[in-house]
Amino acid sequence: MSNQLIVTRRTALLGAAAGLLASRTAFAQGASGPIKVGVIMPLSGGAGPQGQHVTQAIQSMAALINAKGGVMGRQIEIMARDDESVPAVGVSRANELISAGVSVIIEGWNSPVTLAMQPVINRAGILDITAISKADPILSGEGNKLAIRLNSSNAQDGAVMANYIANIAKAKRVAFLTQNDAYGNGAQASIEAELKKLNYDYEKVSEEKFPFAQADFRVALTNVRGARPDVTIAINANEGLGMPALIRQASQSRLPGQLVAAVGTIAPSVIKIAGEASEGLVGADIYFPDVEPFASNPRNKEFVAKTEEMFKYTPDKFMALGAGALEAWAQAANEVKSLDKEPVANRIRGGTFANTIFGEMAFEPNGQLKSRHYLFTVKGQKLVVDTAKG
Amino acid sequence: MSSAWNWPLAALLAVAGFFAPVLLGGSPAIYAALVLIAIFAVMSYGLDSIVSDLGEVSLAHTVFFAVGAYVTALLSVRLGLDPVGTLVGTIIAALIAAGVLGLITLRLREFVFSLVTYAVAVVALTVAANWSFIGGSDGLRGIPAFEIGWLGIRAAGDVELWPIAFVLLLATLYVMRSFRRSRLGQAAIMVHLNPRLATMSGIDPQRTRLQVFLFSAPITASAGWLYAYQRAYVSADLLETYFLILMLTAVVIIGRRLLLGPLIGVALILAQEKFWSFGGYVDRIILGSLLILVLAYLPGGLFGLVQALAEARHRVRARAGDTSSQTRPRKADA
Repeated sequence: MSNQLIVTRRTALLGAAAGLLASRTAFAQGASGPIKVGVIMPLSGGAGPQGQHVTQAIQSMAALINAKGGVMGRQIEIMARDDESVPAVGVSRANELISAGVSVIIEGWNSPVTLAMQPVINRAGILDITAISKADPILSGEGNKLAIRLNSSNAQDGAVMANYIANIAKAKRVAFLTQNDAYGNGAQASIEAELKKLNYDYEKVSEEKFPFAQADFRVALTNVRGARPDVTIAINANEGLGMPALIRQASQSRLPGQLVAAVGTIAPSVIKIAGEASEGLVGADIYFPDVEPFASNPRNKEFVAKTEEMFKYTPDKFMALGAGALEAWAQAANEVKSLDKEPVANRIRGGTFANTIFGEMAFEPNGQLKSRHYLFTVKGQKLVVDTAKG
Repeated sequence: MSSAWNWPLAALLAVAGFFAPVLLGGSPAIYAALVLIAIFAVMSYGLDSIVSDLGEVSLAHTVFFAVGAYVTALLSVRLGLDPVGTLVGTIIAALIAAGVLGLITLRLREFVFSLVTYAVAVVALTVAANWSFIGGSDGLRGIPAFEIGWLGIRAAGDVELWPIAFVLLLATLYVMRSFRRSRLGQAAIMVHLNPRLATMSGIDPQRTRLQVFLFSAPITASAGWLYAYQRAYVSADLLETYFLILMLTAVVIIGRRLLLGPLIGVALILAQEKFWSFGGYVDRIILGSLLILVLAYLPGGLFGLVQALAEARHRVRARAGDTSSQTRPRKADA
């Protein structure tokens, strides 16, 4: 038995040596060519349209960086893959990109997919930047000790939502419609934790949970309506299908009180699909292309113009986060003059970057991008930012 | 072929299989693909014994797969057990789960059986996504690398995991072959094809069904065991339809009761998904259409289709031979 295992191990070493040789040869061939940047987003399914937009934004940012000389004098080549919002598929795509010799992977729409990919990318020694996924364990260090994330954390979002419920809406009866996964449950827990911190007296009158792919909320909405909430918090990251359907069905069911979308779940594309049903919807977010301080930022103007030129689409928050991830990585790699994971990650974590599409980008030591939230209301199918309440 | 050639041929195939990653270029992507093919093939063999031998369609085999992965994650992260310990735990947990499921479905047949097993999978998914003890919707993270210190084995990546996945696959193939030649395997097929005859022959159909379930579950669970180490993260997505459709298609696409059927089926599906993907939508349409096509029109699978075509060709040739032998004398007469 032990002999058989020793033989197996030796043969594994031979196989490993062959694999290493192949990858080193590929690296040597690619050292003077373009730098490969991997992007893994859902390009199909419910979040497919948004994932495609994020990928396009990263491509337009790559075009801007390439026009200014690229990274360490080399051009950037974007290699995009579809994770289909399925963790197992995401892991497969990550392995493909690792094998293709990418220097960094920008990933993450869906938290369970990010959590599944993290250890695989980490073990391969590739820098992993999470653009959108929000679950708190992403920055726990268990899957990746050098994790970096741009989208605001559930804890940051929870504080904003709790402030709205307690100090602006002054709601006493609160209902939750929550996506039942790492992201949704974490978001709801953060809101409740922040309300507790505020010592705010309220009643949770209804709580309905649903899977990511769900598009029919009529039964859940009937239950929520029966509870007569002052405020209903909708936590749904399925911006291509679930969230617009939820908004439309909430309007059709004449849901009482104010419908509030969780932070970062309302892109212009959601409003476009939901149509008039979105009128009066309240939400909060961290980036708006045409609102100060972003509107007058020259770098942001350049990015918006390039994206509109290349893809005939004005970038939203998700797209800006994807582009911002590439922008921060490119600046860090140029400064430390390396594509290696550790020096680039250490430059980003706890570091600041000037002249980006967000103005100055500052990261916490744990890799979380610091961000400021702005409350908005949907009026005439446009996001109208209330800077006074932001 | 003479049975005397069976073992040397199998040994030759095994050696070629082991060196397949090197023969295919040795890139990390090839290793990653072959490790997954081996793991998912093992997962499918568990279901194969139920579908092909017992003649029932279990929709709960993702539960055994998830049991293997979750038990491995819990025992390795919380108790620090090595892969040998987690494998023992996986097999015990799978036997308990199979025993419970087998007893529940003992008297059920065909679509009612499938419906109940589907309900079990839905319940399991809901429990896994909400029970904080097993990580809830966050899942379980921090699964260590595959390492058996007292044997000096450490496999952190797919290249090092390949020999382990390959040995697991070979062991599964051997067990499946032995099962089909065993009394239990023969009894299962008799219960499937003619339950009354089986009863008259002294076979207890209910006992046989339970035994096949107990045989099948640890196979699928052992795939979950290795998958937990390969992915280093376990969550409720293991109970979603992706894995169910994958294993069902792999079992039926090539043909039932073929020893290499599920392995070739998984290899075809993953190769298409990894190397010739047309994007998420089209891939799903291809997989779904294949399943419909095979279930509706090709009960013998692709192998059955090839056999039918070969037989048809043989008949055409035979007829052509008859015609020419009938015409030749006439020419001679002329």
